[in-house]
Amino acid sequence: MARELVVYGISHHRTPVSVRERMASTAERVSEDLKRLLESEVISEGVLLSTCNRVELVAVTEQPHKTREHVMGYFQHRASPEPVIEYVYEHAGTDAVRHMFRVAAGLDSMVLGEPQILGQVKDAVALAQRVGTIGGTLGRCFDRTFSVAKRVRTETEIASGNVSVSSIACELAEKIFSDLAGRKVLLVGAGKMSEVAARSLKARGASLTVINRSPQRAADLAAACGGEARPLEALATELANADVAISSTSNDGYVITYELMQGVAKMRKFRPLFMIDIAVPRDIDPRVEGIRNVFLYDMDDLKRVSQANLAAREQAASDAEQIIETEVRDYGKWLRQLELTPTIVALRERVREVVQREKQKALPRMGQLDPKVQQALDQMCEAIVGQLLHKPLTQLKQSQDGDESTALVAAVQQLFALEVTPAPTVPPPSLPENSKERGKP
Amino acid sequence: MTVVGITFALGALLYAVACAAFFVHLSRGTKLSARWAMRTLAAAMGAHAAYLISDYAISGRHPLEGIQQTLAVLSLIIALAYLATVRRHGMTAIGAFITPVTLLMLLGAGLRSSLPPVPEHVRSALLPVHVAMNVLGLAAFTLAFAAAVGYVIQERLLRTKHVIGVFQRLPALEELDALGGRFVTIGFPLFTLGLVLGIVWAAQQSALSAGQGFGMLAWLFFGIVLLTRAIAGWNGRRAAIGTMLGFMCAMAALGGYVVRGLGG
Repeated sequence: MARELVVYGISHHRTPVSVRERMASTAERVSEDLKRLLESEVISEGVLLSTCNRVELVAVTEQPHKTREHVMGYFQHRASPEPVIEYVYEHAGTDAVRHMFRVAAGLDSMVLGEPQILGQVKDAVALAQRVGTIGGTLGRCFDRTFSVAKRVRTETEIASGNVSVSSIACELAEKIFSDLAGRKVLLVGAGKMSEVAARSLKARGASLTVINRSPQRAADLAAACGGEARPLEALATELANADVAISSTSNDGYVITYELMQGVAKMRKFRPLFMIDIAVPRDIDPRVEGIRNVFLYDMDDLKRVSQANLAAREQAASDAEQIIETEVRDYGKWLRQLELTPTIVALRERVREVVQREKQKALPRMGQLDPKVQQALDQMCEAIVGQLLHKPLTQLKQSQDGDESTALVAAVQQLFALEVTPAPTVPPPSLPENSKERGKP
Repeated sequence: MTVVGITFALGALLYAVACAAFFVHLSRGTKLSARWAMRTLAAAMGAHAAYLISDYAISGRHPLEGIQQTLAVLSLIIALAYLATVRRHGMTAIGAFITPVTLLMLLGAGLRSSLPPVPEHVRSALLPVHVAMNVLGLAAFTLAFAAAVGYVIQERLLRTKHVIGVFQRLPALEELDALGGRFVTIGFPLFTLGLVLGIVWAAQQSALSAGQGFGMLAWLFFGIVLLTRAIAGWNGRRAAIGTMLGFMCAMAALGGYVVRGLGG
């Protein structure tokens, strides 16, 4: 029977978070689930992708109907008592390949073009390799998936710019300071978003100082973020030392006034200072922006940058979809070629084998043959093979570009009882080498 | 068309293509776009060098003998200095501001003078040293100018919150400011020596002109930039504007010599 690629999954597009959180799994759980799914022998290869926004099973099966029943049962068991079947989507064949390419390229993500998904897919494949549930078919498919994702990210703007506040903060800081390693970040207040932004900057090598009206809160936050706590009275001094200042307090008025910043700017000899005001109402007097070498961004500014970046990604999405369509077509052709060539070789050999066998049986009955007659007999046998196979082989080769190729190849293999040597197993791709692929969303 | 003409035209065309390639890199910022821009620039420099060599071989004119040849040598040195900078500091993107300058200078070199060569009796040892020092100084100032232009644009984009677009891959402000400062520091003593020698030579020949005036104005601007950086902490935008003004005065001085050379 023909092997078919199938995808079953749930994602953030339609599935409520209450269902998704039931399905979320650790790596150990994913390993167990994969082994259990393949024990049934309905599925011959499988990769299970489990993230906060999607759970997908990519599988190879020769029994698509039984597989459907089996997989739906698994999803329902995992999501129980939440109903899940109505949210499960399924793709097969070319549609499954297209879906995998789109997911890995970030076109199906909650944040269009986000880079983490590619790393997550690679991790899922590596896990399946360790568990032993990935074989030649899925190996080839994922190999192509990763190169398509890389092509999309390289040739389009789908991954350009950042859309989250913390990553935009890092991006803007890097437009001022290039290297954030060793830079001083001052966190004023205790807002969650500012904490996330400060952590992102710290992850890039910056040092963190926390100032809060409550010394205890400052100490707690500094301990949690790996920074240093300072009292509120040290605000001016710390502003003079900082390279980046992020403010998010619950104060009604300005915490950082224009007059304060005028003094601070002189103290720091007008070295560049990047200020982010995440608070609403604002903590930083907008007039501060007019001070030499002070760059001030508030929430509206960050949202505008985020929207502009998202718009650029959306424009790039149509380019990305075109690349994916081309790659899906090329992959299908390549796959059909892969299936076809061993079948053609096996068919030729089978027919030749039959003709040669009958010739050998008939030769003793013909007695001593003249070399010219022998030669003519051999040529006739070759001609019979060629004539017999011409039409079938032409049909097989022409079917490569269409969807009926796989069915035709399977039919030829079955009708002629061919033993076809499968294509060599492709080892699954290695894990990502650096964290940049998981970096800024 | 002669060999000199062909190499000149090829060099100019390739500089123009390199300029476009650098602007593409400025907006795309990929390794591929950087590679193509640098390769095109390298090809332009190859044609440029071939032009200089063939011109010297055929005409026998010393490369620094006349203003046009000087322009051609200066533009090649600028391109070489840019390559060395990229090798050390990265910042491929500022090639978008270097290549238009090298292209314009090469085109200026193509405007042949009707003036006869400097007469023997007024030549002195001062003249080639004056020209060489000015060439090296101006090459450094050109790189400072490119960094300054980049700084002003990047700063403007950050202030107006327009951080995506054609210039989205400009280097960081700090890098551009540091590069500008570094090249003004390198160019200033060279240019000072060149200017002093030029004034002395011109005074000897009673040939002081407005060109020297623009040259002195350029020297003044660069001097102010250096002084205010060191004493008053005037880095960033102010230093960039000062650098750009100084460079424009230097180019006005150079332009004056070209026009004088053409007009006879």
